[in-house]
Amino acid sequence: MRDLHLPLNQTQRVRLEAALHELQTLAPAAASAAAVTVADTIPVNHEDNILKGHGTTDQDGEVVATLCGVVERVNKLVYVRTLRARYKPEVGDIIVGRVIEIAPKRWRLEINFSQDAVLMLSSMNLPDGIQRRRTAVDELNMRSIFEENDVVCAEVRGFQHDGSLHLQARSQKYGKLKRGQLLTVPPYLVKRRKQHFHHLEQYDVDLILGCNGFIWVGEHVVVNEITTFNEDQEKLSAEVETFTPMETRKHICRLANAARVLSALGFTLTIELIIQTAEASLSSNVKINDMLGAEFYVQTAETEAKRRADLLGRKKGGAR
Amino acid sequence: MVGLSEGEKHFIRGGIAQDLRADGRTRLQFRAVTVETGIIPQANGSARVRMGATEVIASVKAELGKPTILHPGKGKVSIYVDCSPTAAPMFEGRGSEELSAELSVALQRCLLGGKSGAGAAIDLSSLIVIEGKACWDLYIDGLVVSSDGNLLDALAAAIKVALSDTGIPKVNVSLNAETDGEPEFDISDEDFLQFDTSSVPVIVTLTKVGKHYIVDATSEEESQMSSAVSVSVNRLGQICGMTKRGGAGLDPSVIFDMISVAKHVSQRFISLLDSEIAAAEAADAE
Amino acid sequence: MEHVNPLTGFRVDGRRPNEMRQLRGEVGVVSRADGSALFEMGNTRVIAAVYGPREIQNRSQQVNLKEALVRCEYRMAEFSTGDRRRKPKGDRRSTEISLVIRQTMEASILTHLMPHSQIDIFVQVLQADGGTRSACINAATLALADAGIPMKDIVTSCSAGYLCSTPLLDLNYIEDSAGGPDVTVGILAKMDKVTLLQMDAKLPMDTFETVMELATEGCKAIATYIREVLLENTKQLECQRG
Repeated sequence: MRDLHLPLNQTQRVRLEAALHELQTLAPAAASAAAVTVADTIPVNHEDNILKGHGTTDQDGEVVATLCGVVERVNKLVYVRTLRARYKPEVGDIIVGRVIEIAPKRWRLEINFSQDAVLMLSSMNLPDGIQRRRTAVDELNMRSIFEENDVVCAEVRGFQHDGSLHLQARSQKYGKLKRGQLLTVPPYLVKRRKQHFHHLEQYDVDLILGCNGFIWVGEHVVVNEITTFNEDQEKLSAEVETFTPMETRKHICRLANAARVLSALGFTLTIELIIQTAEASLSSNVKINDMLGAEFYVQTAETEAKRRADLLGRKKGGAR
Repeated sequence: MVGLSEGEKHFIRGGIAQDLRADGRTRLQFRAVTVETGIIPQANGSARVRMGATEVIASVKAELGKPTILHPGKGKVSIYVDCSPTAAPMFEGRGSEELSAELSVALQRCLLGGKSGAGAAIDLSSLIVIEGKACWDLYIDGLVVSSDGNLLDALAAAIKVALSDTGIPKVNVSLNAETDGEPEFDISDEDFLQFDTSSVPVIVTLTKVGKHYIVDATSEEESQMSSAVSVSVNRLGQICGMTKRGGAGLDPSVIFDMISVAKHVSQRFISLLDSEIAAAEAADAE
Repeated sequence: MEHVNPLTGFRVDGRRPNEMRQLRGEVGVVSRADGSALFEMGNTRVIAAVYGPREIQNRSQQVNLKEALVRCEYRMAEFSTGDRRRKPKGDRRSTEISLVIRQTMEASILTHLMPHSQIDIFVQVLQADGGTRSACINAATLALADAGIPMKDIVTSCSAGYLCSTPLLDLNYIEDSAGGPDVTVGILAKMDKVTLLQMDAKLPMDTFETVMELATEGCKAIATYIREVLLENTKQLECQRG
């Protein structure tokens, strides 16, 4: 399986296979029946006046898939929901990106999309928090807000007519992410939800599940309503001597490794599952690094299979 | 290559100082290593080594050749490394040449000794068929398929495993007068001599970040290095070669300290590889 | 040398004239790429990695703003051939194969859906035993599908030759270098259109037709196999996702 080059021993291999097989049987039969590959014909009733959506094309009157994925039908719309692919943005998505370039009045960000995204100086709150016109001085000070390579959290604002993507960061919760690590997972593993920022108080950790598959796990930052440029600079120089506290760092690494394991196994990354996995490792005394070892992968797969089976059982019970 | 923000760099440096790296490893801990042998059937020996997201392939080909006049009692070995663009788009075209050359030369230095080949970690005299007339030329090729730091150590490990997988055909030499004393070779298809790899060293690279040094750095960690020392150590704990990279100067006492740490770590790494080789051979036999 | 046994009709490696070598395809072999695949045809083994679609890196290469730029590089590993000879990088043969693969894949990728972007396809030959360009195209198709890049159709390629008055499917290195013609065909499998056609020796017109038909059949068989691999992979991903 992808990304899983584990030195499994015989029993572990059997257990992993069993768990994965269990997952396969638990999945709704419709899902695997609706799976298509490139150039597969999608059966439709042409009298219905269907609308061809993402991942489909017309070939000699037939609807044909142009991607691998799962066929979804919403009323008249037929489209292919992709699995592994680059990020497909939607307005309002919360994303994590990395600054690539500073251009006049704008930053360009890498966000795992087919193009760089643009964050205009005018689409973000200034550090002084005052609503006003952007001056030439602000433009010159852009680098004090975000530098090249900075990791930034923002929201998808919309598309321009030329197909490029615009972002905005008009709230204190958006902005630069400082101390922590950035993971990348396939975007299909992150579900769109109400909440993408998670401040895990019990660990003093911020975890942001970007819709674009960039996941930030870092030290919790207290949002100050007013921070000025100078303060920001001073903090950075003082930071050099003050590393992340050991306890927090342990939590960050544990959560990050939990996310790594789940993504390698191809499980949807929800905040609950990440925390559960991290807690499971803690309660069974697995060292942080050993979470990336074969045994923990197998354990996680088994736990997930069991969880889904329970979920299904409960649903069925409720239906009766 | 890797762009990191100030905050991330700080986090990495802090992790190394506190002995808890981003993936939970301690400073002297390796990533999980997996080994496969015999993956290139056309070669005399081959191996694939994975360390985290780093993946390299090494192949050994043996061809009959002539020893040089200066060293009639020694075979020849050449090491050449290529970085495939599949590992990173920056390796396309001529983009990999510099790194490939750096890795090739570092491996030659650590495994083959100087020009005379006297200090070579691979026993060159075992490659001789007839002194002064015929010897085996070993062509060792490394290929970086996926790159996430610590390429040198991974390549050296792959070469070590590939050599242990290498069978050199038995040669029957018949000298006859008709061909003016030129020997005729009868290369056996069935009988192979196993290459003695007990003395082939491994390379351990210690990457210095801040005040501390780490083994098996990922590419993110490598981007924070001030300097790195690669030491090749064999099973007996002898140092076979050394390379220092990176701009920052090192205090000699720090270097001695790093060497002794490398020596210690290398023994662990060798036994790790040994067990992986045994497992790979068992898997092959199945 | 006899490439087809006149009595039994079997080829040197034990295949029937219209029999393909063992196929094996696997997606997701390079962890850092957007899409990747391994493809084997007998002893020929190649890896393909796809990076992108991503922002155009070198703006001077941009030809058409409204379409994605497709780039390709073909490389042979030093140890991939039987006799080990140092070849300079970017020799003519590699350049030509890079171009062929690029054009063949470009015919299928829906480039207009990804404006202002570029797609890089890198193919690395690990073992060459005849039919490398076909194997590369098949691997590239798998890798592109794995990267979730929209395509009109599955592109596959296969070669066929004509030796000892017998049309032979999927030539290996010995058969390829035997002096007979080598017809390499690439098709868009569903639309039944030929996108690549190369032949390097003389052949009577009517024989050419049968040889090309044989190669086309081979392409279709490969397309069926590739779709199986992709469908299996898609189902697995969907089931695990939950």
